This record gives sequence, structure tokens and C-alpha cells, in this order.
Amino acid sequence: MSAPAPLLTLEAVTKRFGGLTAVREVSLQVQPGDLLGIIGPNGAGKTTLFHMISGYYPPDEGRVTFDGRDITGQPAHAVSRLGLTRTFQIVKPFGNLSVLDNVMIGALTRRSSTRAARTDAERVIDICDLGRHAAARARALPLALRKRLEVARALATQPRLLLLDEVMAGLNPTELIAMVALIRRLHANGLTLIVIEHIMAAMMRLAQRIVMLHHGEKIAEGTPREITSDRRVIDAYLGEEFVLADA
Amino acid sequence: MDPARRLGPAQIDVFAQLGVSTVLLGGIYALIAVGLTLIFGIMRVVNFAHGEFLMLGMYLAFWAFTLLSLDPWFVLFFSIPIFFGVGLVTYALIMKGVIHASHNVQIFTTVGLSTALQNVALVLWSGDFHTVRPWHASTPIRLAGTAFNLSQVVAFVIAIALTVLLVAFMRWTHTGRVMRATAQDRDAAILMGIDTDQVYRLTFAIGIAAVGAAGVLVSPLYAVYPTAGLQFVLLSYVVVVLGGLGDMVGALIGSLIVAAVEVAGSYFFGTAWKEIFYFVLFIAVLVFRPAGLFGQRGAETLGA
Amino acid sequence: MITRALAHRRGALLLFGVAALIPVFVRDAYFLDSLVLILLWGALSAAWNVAGGYAGQVSIGHAAFFGIGAYSAALLGTRFQQSPWLGMLVGVALSLVAGGAIGYLSNRLKGPYFALSTIAFSQVLLIVASRWRAFTSGSEGIPVPFRPGFASLGLGHVAWVYLALAVAVLYWGVQVWLEHSRFGYRLAGVREDEDAAQALGIPARRLKVIAVMTSAALTSVCGTLWAQYIGFVDPFYVFSVDLSVRFALNAIIGGMGTALGPFLGSILITSLETYLRATLSGVQSGFTGIYLIVYGTVLILVVRFFPDGLAGLAARLRARWARAHA
Repeated sequence: MSAPAPLLTLEAVTKRFGGLTAVREVSLQVQPGDLLGIIGPNGAGKTTLFHMISGYYPPDEGRVTFDGRDITGQPAHAVSRLGLTRTFQIVKPFGNLSVLDNVMIGALTRRSSTRAARTDAERVIDICDLGRHAAARARALPLALRKRLEVARALATQPRLLLLDEVMAGLNPTELIAMVALIRRLHANGLTLIVIEHIMAAMMRLAQRIVMLHHGEKIAEGTPREITSDRRVIDAYLGEEFVLADA
Repeated sequence: MDPARRLGPAQIDVFAQLGVSTVLLGGIYALIAVGLTLIFGIMRVVNFAHGEFLMLGMYLAFWAFTLLSLDPWFVLFFSIPIFFGVGLVTYALIMKGVIHASHNVQIFTTVGLSTALQNVALVLWSGDFHTVRPWHASTPIRLAGTAFNLSQVVAFVIAIALTVLLVAFMRWTHTGRVMRATAQDRDAAILMGIDTDQVYRLTFAIGIAAVGAAGVLVSPLYAVYPTAGLQFVLLSYVVVVLGGLGDMVGALIGSLIVAAVEVAGSYFFGTAWKEIFYFVLFIAVLVFRPAGLFGQRGAETLGA
Repeated sequence: MITRALAHRRGALLLFGVAALIPVFVRDAYFLDSLVLILLWGALSAAWNVAGGYAGQVSIGHAAFFGIGAYSAALLGTRFQQSPWLGMLVGVALSLVAGGAIGYLSNRLKGPYFALSTIAFSQVLLIVASRWRAFTSGSEGIPVPFRPGFASLGLGHVAWVYLALAVAVLYWGVQVWLEHSRFGYRLAGVREDEDAAQALGIPARRLKVIAVMTSAALTSVCGTLWAQYIGFVDPFYVFSVDLSVRFALNAIIGGMGTALGPFLGSILITSLETYLRATLSGVQSGFTGIYLIVYGTVLILVVRFFPDGLAGLAARLRARWARAHA
């Protein structure tokens, strides 16, 4: 069975900072409609990988191909325009602007009129269940809502591929359930996602495939079941047999 | 009367003269810049009013000389505690509130302070140019084909001595180490139980004491007027950026480089254009080597 | 953003409406002169605001563009007998280039370092202007000849009021446009968080340069007008740091990043200046000094305790009134 052309391809992507190799020859592929999870201990290079994919800084070696186009080393704004948008691990809301304005700015990537952008933004705000806070100043929001805003804003750019960087960190169980449901919904509607997460329970519910990074290298890749029974993953990260409680 | 002219051109070795000029000037610039790099490096605050404290030091020397016939070298010893006190007061009244504020607030607060201080001087003492002419300002020193006056040489010696003292203080005393720790990582310092407010207060006071003393030292060498500080501000920042934020030895070396550029530039193009040299040097450093010549923390980390 | 703009429109309509009506009822030259200055200073601060308030690029060297505009008109007028409107165009062209350079610096240097570089730039121009005897008459400055007529901007007081008012309304409009346009929204994003903006597809560096260049050109136009109005271009004034600070001061006091703020600030500061000048007219340098001491102190206090300026204060009062009457 021939697979459709991958949406994103990383070939031996490497990043060094002085003497430290943060990411070493990582290769992976993401097909349209995938939900790929990336796990690994802190410092494994997960966010560095996102930075390179999204154009925050270029890789030292290797190639990044998106939608058939070589985007290696392209600046972040160009990559976003092509349909690849990322969120930041430490959220970066436009603090002094309202939630609506924040999301509108995302929408303006695709829209040339503010009116159209506002309509888009209101729709996205609805999807992300931020309607009640649309007029609130971003910096007045608690963390859980800021995280949702981060997702909403990225969503407004109408990405084909969305990179979510630890959007669940710091959320309480209720907020977690809501965020997982949101991501599920987005995926169900056809959005391709790569998700970095530490919260394994969430990851197991969302990801079709998981990649594990350790010391900058990809040491495992597979379905959630495969990953959680992989000896290397258990030794380096999970710490014990992680048994799925439900189907 | 310029000692070089009195001696006659044949007796002046141009390059030696330029070289010694550079060193003498560099020493003075070092004292001015060292206070600034401390404030920058430890408090991460830009002080646009730095030149005004220099100006106040010059005025202190002027009034002490004019009214009390006190020589600047004598006044110097009192100026250090006086300006230390001025620094403490300024910190408490103005700087303390803006340390944790945004860049804009810091910029405009110190710009406002600069404007206010310049004009306090203007209102109190008029815009007339004054000079401080103690006996040593016209005492020539001749050495190996170079000619200078005693004021320059002693200013240099004292400036270097004070700078070295400061470096020693930072390196070998407990307080100095505490200050350097705070510069490296404010949050970690707090966690270690360091009272960062005290550190900042001390840092600022020391920085102002240094630049106030520098003002007293240079009073025989430059005209004294309300905006006298402006000419030194830009070059101080060039020195600080060249040497790396908070790096005092870097400030010393940076001072020499800036002095060299000024001396050489003035020789070939005339003194009128020295601001342009500073500007070019400033931009060049910031664009090509913002981390300073020694790769230390530099302009990029100002955003911490 | 919308409710703020509407509120501004009410306030702006009031302000500009009153300004338009004043010459109908008041003929006192001194009063009209003050009005022209209020409007011009307001416009200059609005121009600064485009870069400083809306783009977040705080410059303390905008006098560079002001001086370029002033000198362009003065030099073309006295040496080549050209109309000041041509001088204005030349000034704008030069300021766009200079603005481009400063914009480039804004992408390399962070906050305080950028501010420093703008100061340095304006001081370099000051030195060049004050020492280039042959071209700019050096430190003596250039008297700007008065030739009556609109083409040569030789106008009476009432005409100046309406010209200044037209410029003020235009610049106010530019700011309002920034608050509603796609460009302005994205610029706000850049101002708030450049990385996040880039991640959303906004070419932050380009936007910043455009904003600074626009700000430069707008400042230059007012420099030309001012030179024609005052009749004399003194390099030590038109390129001074004090002047640059003043552009920022009005905007900060009135409310940085708001359309009406610069004009509110200008009303306050210019009136204060006029008052001080009248009261202390005997003591020459004493007056200048006190006035600037007040500036400096006000700047320190406002930036610390009223960061949103007068406009912010008004907004807060309005909100409180709205809540009380809800």
C-alpha cells in the first residue's frame, strides 16, 4: 500500500550549541492527518527540534521538507505562512491585547481584512471554548486559559501542520481533560499535529505514533503500545512498565 | 598653554605623544566606564544620566577650588564619600522603583533624570563655561619626546589606582563576590539568601562614586558647564559594550581602545569629529560583536 | 480596541472641533501662535508614537528627522530659491533613508541600546550641521525667508492654525488607522512579543523598519513646517536631544500607543511652557532651565506612576463611571 506524500520530513537534522549537540541526526516523517507524539526527558532536544522545524533557528545539518518544499533554514514567519505553525512551551500571549485581538492577529496571516479576520477569530475562539473571555486582556488570564489562547491563536493561522509544545504542562485534571478533548477535536477535523508532552496519560489517548528523544537522539518510534513496552524507553524515561488501564 | 607647543615641534615624537595620550586618556575613561559597567552588569539598568554625575563632580571641584581654594586632588578624597551618598539617595528615590520595570520605563526615568540634573546645574550655576586651573594644570612633564601636564598624569595614576581598587574589591572581598553572583543570576542569588536590594544599592552608590570622582579628576582638563557630561556618555557606553557588560577589566581595555580611536582620529581629522568616531565605533561593535571583544555577556543579554 | 477608538473619536472630535473654531472667535496673535505650536508638537509626538508607541521602538533621536526636514526646506529655500514644499519632499526622501538605517538598527539592538544609537545618530547630524560652514552656515544657523503665499508657506496666523490642524488631524488619522488596520494589528503583535508574532507568520523585522521609516517621514514633514513657521533653523536646537525627548514626552504623558495621547500631552506640556515663559520672562536662562527640570521630573513621575498617561487615566475614569452607572 503506497502512502501519500508525507507532509513533513526531517532528514538527519542536527543542532549544536558550542560543544553540546542538542539534537543529533533526527529523522522522521509525518503523514497528513497524523497525530505524532514526541516524548523524552527534559533537555532531550524536543523543543530544539520544534525550533528548527518552525524556523526559529536553522539546523546545523540535515533537511526539513514540508509539503514537498525544502524549508530548511527558512525564517519563522515564512514557515508559518506556508502552513506550519507552532506554539511555545512558555506561552507568549500578546499581554496587553484582548483575547480576541490575539487570535485576530493569528487570523490576519491568511486574511487581508480585519473584518474577515475577526469572523475567523470568533469562530476559533468558539472552537477553543474561550468565548466568555474574548474581551479579557491576555495577561489577566490564568495559565490554563493562556495555554488555550496559545492554541487558538496558532489555529487561527489555518495551519496544515500544528506543533504543540507541552500545552498541558501546569494544567489541573479538569483543564487537562478539556485540552485533550480540544486536541482530539482538531485532529478529528483533519488537522495534522505533532505534540510534545510529558503527561503520558494524555499522550497515550492522543497519539497514533510516538517518537522518543533522549540526549538529542531518536531512540524509539512506534505506536503507544510499542513505545511503552520498549526497554530503552522504560529505562531512559518511563521508569517502569506503563500499562494501559483501558482500551 | 599647551606644553607641546611650548617645547617646539622638533622635540615631540608624534607617535610617542599619541601613545601616551591614549594611555592617559584611557585611564580616565576607564574610571568613568567602570562605574557604568558595574551598574549595567549587576543591575541590568541603563543609566542615561551617568554623564550628569560626572558633570556634578566637575562642578564640585570647581566650586571647591573657586570658593575654598581647595585643589581637586584634595577634593577627590571627599568626593568619593559625597558621591557615594548621592548614589544612595538617587537609588532610593529613583532607581529602586525602576529596576524591575520595563526597558522603556528605565530609559525614560534616567533620561528624565539626565534632563533634570543638567538643568538644575543650568539654573543654579548658569550656562557659562568654567575652568579649574590648579597649579598642576600647567606644569609640564617631559619624557622621551612627549609632553603632558601634571594634571593629566596624576589623573591617570589616580584613575588607574581607583579602578584597580575596585577590581580588587570585586574579586577578593566577600561583598564583591556577592555582587558578582547577583550579576550572574539574580534569581539564584535571591534563593541563596542574598539581599538583592542591598546589592543594587551598593552597586549604584559605588558606580556613582566612581564617576563623581572621575569628574573631580578631569575638572582641570575639560571645561565645566551643565552639559559637559554629554560628551562622555556615549563613549562610556562604547567602552562598556566593547569590554562586555559588567566586565571591569574589559572596561579598562575598552577604554584604551576608545582612547586610541579618539586620539588617532583627532590627530588625522581634527577633534571636531570625535563624536562621529564614537558613533561609528559604537554601531560597529553592536552590529558585529554585541557580546563585546571578549565574548562576555553583552548587549543581547540586556533583555534578561 | 474598538471601544477605545470610538471614545477617541468623541474626544478627538471635541478637541479638533474646538481648535477649528478658535480662530473664528479669537484673533489674539499670541493665543493663535500657542495653538499652532500645540498642534505641531502634538503632530510631532504622534509621528514619534508610530515608532515608539505602536511599534514599540523607543527612539530618543527623532530630532534627527526633524532637523533633516527643517534643513531641507531652509537650504533649498535660501540657496536654491525653491519652494518649501519641494524642500519638504527632499526632507521626506532623506528621512526615509535615515529611517531605514535606524530601522535596521532596531532589528539589531535591543531597547536601551537602540535608544542610545538613536541619540548618537542625532548628535552626529548635529555635529555635521553645526560644522559644515560651507553648506549649512555652520553653527550660526539659517534664517528662513518669509515669502507670502501658500506655495512658499508664507502664511498668516489663522492660515497656519488651519494648516497645523490639517496635519494634526491627518497624523491622528494615521494612528487610528494603525489601530484598525491589518498592518497595525500585526505591528501590535510585534510590539508585544516579537517571537510570537514571527511564529504567526508576521515578518517582524520588515514591519519594524516600515514603522520607523513612516515615523521618520512624518517627523520630517513637521520639521519643514516648523522651520517655515518659526523662520530660523538653529542646528543646536533642531537636532537636540531635548527636542527628541520632548516628542516622546508628549506621547508618554498623553498615553503612548493611543491616537489622542500625543495631542493630550502636547496640550498639557505646551500650555505649561507658555505659562512658564510668560511668568518667568525676565530670567532668560533661568526660565529654560526650570522648564526642563519640570519636564525631567514629570517624565520620571509619569513613567513610573501613570504609565498609561492621560488617555489611560481617562479610560480608567470612564470605566469606573460606566461601572457605577451600570
